[in-house]
Amino acid sequence: MKGETVTTPRTAATDVSEILRRLLLLELWVGLWVTLKNQFRPHITVEYPKETVDLSPRFRGMPRLRYHPENGEELCIACHLCEVICPDDCIHIVSEKKPEGKGKRLVSFEINYERCCLCGLCVDPCPTKPLTAIYMSHDYELADTKREGFVAPLKVLLDGSQQKEYRE
Amino acid sequence: MSREFIESVGIPTIQVLIVVMVVPLGVAYLQLVERKVLGFMQVRLAPRRVGWHGLLQPIADALKLMIKEDVIPAKADRFLFTLAPILTVIPALAALAVIPIAGRPFALFGYEVRPWISDINVGLLYLLAISSLGIYGIILGGWASNSKYSLLGALRSSAQMISYEVPLGFALIGAMMLSGSASMVQIVEAQRIAGWWYVAPQFLGFFCYLISALAETNRVPFDLPEAEAELVAGFHTEYSGMKFALFFLAEYTNMIVVSSIVTVLFFGGWLRPFPNVEALVWLENGWLVVGPLVAGLFAGWLLDQKLGTGLRLMFAGGVLGSVLGVALAATDLGGWASFQLPAVSGAFWFFLKVSFFLFLYIWLRGTYPRYRYDQLMSLGWKWLIPLSILNVVGTGLAVLLAA
Repeated sequence: MKGETVTTPRTAATDVSEILRRLLLLELWVGLWVTLKNQFRPHITVEYPKETVDLSPRFRGMPRLRYHPENGEELCIACHLCEVICPDDCIHIVSEKKPEGKGKRLVSFEINYERCCLCGLCVDPCPTKPLTAIYMSHDYELADTKREGFVAPLKVLLDGSQQKEYRE
Repeated sequence: MSREFIESVGIPTIQVLIVVMVVPLGVAYLQLVERKVLGFMQVRLAPRRVGWHGLLQPIADALKLMIKEDVIPAKADRFLFTLAPILTVIPALAALAVIPIAGRPFALFGYEVRPWISDINVGLLYLLAISSLGIYGIILGGWASNSKYSLLGALRSSAQMISYEVPLGFALIGAMMLSGSASMVQIVEAQRIAGWWYVAPQFLGFFCYLISALAETNRVPFDLPEAEAELVAGFHTEYSGMKFALFFLAEYTNMIVVSSIVTVLFFGGWLRPFPNVEALVWLENGWLVVGPLVAGLFAGWLLDQKLGTGLRLMFAGGVLGSVLGVALAATDLGGWASFQLPAVSGAFWFFLKVSFFLFLYIWLRGTYPRYRYDQLMSLGWKWLIPLSILNVVGTGLAVLLAA
């Protein structure tokens, strides 16, 4: 063939072996052997609704809110930083002044998952230490049957949505 | 009703009904086997949601095809569009009429039953004739659809069939010359008398037939008529529902027919390996050997899949099963294990060989990419036709010199 570099010099022996290789359809047998071997390898399929793949710790699923680990109230201090940085404008926060003491508290906190691009930018400016109030959870089953279902209210963000169990 | 009438008309009618009922079911499960084997070759799981490991999948598919809407395109030729699938499926089923699945007739309820529907003395010619009739359905279907993809698929199909019909016929002539008969039963009998399967003296013929038959049945790597990458679905692009199912049925029935022809002509039909060696007579009870062997292999393989231990348990199960099987067949458990029925033994060996060739077809599909159109033509005209003519001339000379 043109353009093909010949590495070994042509001798009678290489010619004969080449002719034999073609005559005995050697490459076809090699192919058949590969597929035959593969049949007995353990499968790599993950049967999705029944089994799921392991997620890496830094996997970014739907953003959710955290409870305070000690007193059980929401950790969010209603600073609106995540709402400001969100490139998709999908976070909508309503807050009011606390009746006593300093600071504000949440009235409502909504994330519109129709717009959210799961970029994780909202986690970076979150000022609460050592845990951030908003975090990227490992929930990734985003499908729903109606548009309202994609707007997650405060309760869903804190407690997670009810996932349907897969039954066989 | 006279006894003769029942034996010559009644029993063949029942046999025809059995074939027409059982073959579609067999085809449905052949398709499941194909999906399973292709899946395993690609290191994935094949269908397994419907039933245990997908065992009910063919039933679900058949139900779906029956319920689906049967669309006829507005500008299609309605009559030919409906006729085409019928014209492909009937020759495919009719070809099974001359396939013998066992050697000698046996008695059932006092009547003589022959394990073939009909043994005509031009069986081979009948097969060649009837299998080329199926092409009309494909061509008519492609033309009647009034669609460019269908027409292109049908054109390719006709060109391909014309090219491959010739080496197909020539490849079979060798076996016909050696046995001196065109009747399928006589050909196998001749192999029993000769003491070897015709694949040994007719290897070239077998090779040519296998490749031509692959092209004749439109299977990968010669599935140009329905090349999905180029022609959507070829001649059955516009078909849906039950009409599509008939094309599908015809394709897989043709696979069974072609495998049966290979088995009968080149692999001794219902004969056991080395049919004349007395020391191997326990192979007549072949299912006693192969049954435990397959069971052992399968159980070992299932365990291996579960435990992830490679293939060690599978080999162990196979060795255990084959030892058990040989012991069972050789001792015969005092005459209890074999039913003393040559028909059962014959049918076992016949179906074993046919299943191997069906597997081979799936195996080839899982391995090779599709031929380009000109490569297909050059393979047919420049290689297979000269090779098969060489085979005919060589066999003729050998027969002449031996006589």
